[in-house]
Amino acid sequence: MPGEFRDGPENAALSERFDLSVSATSDAIATVGDAISETLLQLEVPEQKRLEIALAVQEALANAVVHGCGNDPSKQVRCRLKSDPQGRIVIIVTDPGPGFRPDLVADPQQRENQYADHGRGVYLIRQLMDEVHFEHSGREIMMWKY
Amino acid sequence: MDINVRKRSQAQVIQLRGPLRMGAAVDSLRQTFEESLANGDNRLVLNLAEVAMIDSSGIGLLVRFLASTRQRGGNIKLVQPSKFAVQTLRLVGVLNLFEIFDDDDAAAESFA
Repeated sequence: MPGEFRDGPENAALSERFDLSVSATSDAIATVGDAISETLLQLEVPEQKRLEIALAVQEALANAVVHGCGNDPSKQVRCRLKSDPQGRIVIIVTDPGPGFRPDLVADPQQRENQYADHGRGVYLIRQLMDEVHFEHSGREIMMWKY
Repeated sequence: MDINVRKRSQAQVIQLRGPLRMGAAVDSLRQTFEESLANGDNRLVLNLAEVAMIDSSGIGLLVRFLASTRQRGGNIKLVQPSKFAVQTLRLVGVLNLFEIFDDDDAAAESFA
């Protein structure tokens, strides 16, 4: 039941599979992304689902590095992955930044935004994952895939 | 990411291998695009057959240089994007901006 799962990442049914903090650099988050993909492979997550989760994680980590940490490599981004016996996955990405208002993110589908070179990350995450919550004023994103 | 550039009579073919995502991959492709445009090569064929994932940073780069090449009378045409890459481009509403081909030859000849 999604309702049980929605209780949060501390839900007792969830097992922690991955917990890594890295410097706020694009190279470091690429490494985290690859490690997440490997973990999903070990959990026997189907390919399409793996790709969707991996892209959502990439977007969340990129936002954390660029907006949360201001590309400052002395800051850290934390990424956790948990799963339950039904194969449902939750990923939590946390940064130390000022947070943001996810409700103010522009819609990239609007014609005037089609050629914009940024502003698609949060939209993509919401499209790719089954449930997305922002906590702590946007400093933490929790993403579920059922 | 590996980037292989081949000059053809009608277009420049850029073949990518690896995920197109923020960081070294996007930076390398941006440099390749900038060099192409600086050399007057604005008819570009981008082979994506070995690109499993394109993130929003990669998408931003593609649409930005799509606009740049078109302003110069050229274009960027995509070859063999993966099913997931097509899905991603569609999700953010930019798939319709690109022409897609099955192979490099067909994409290059479409510029003739």
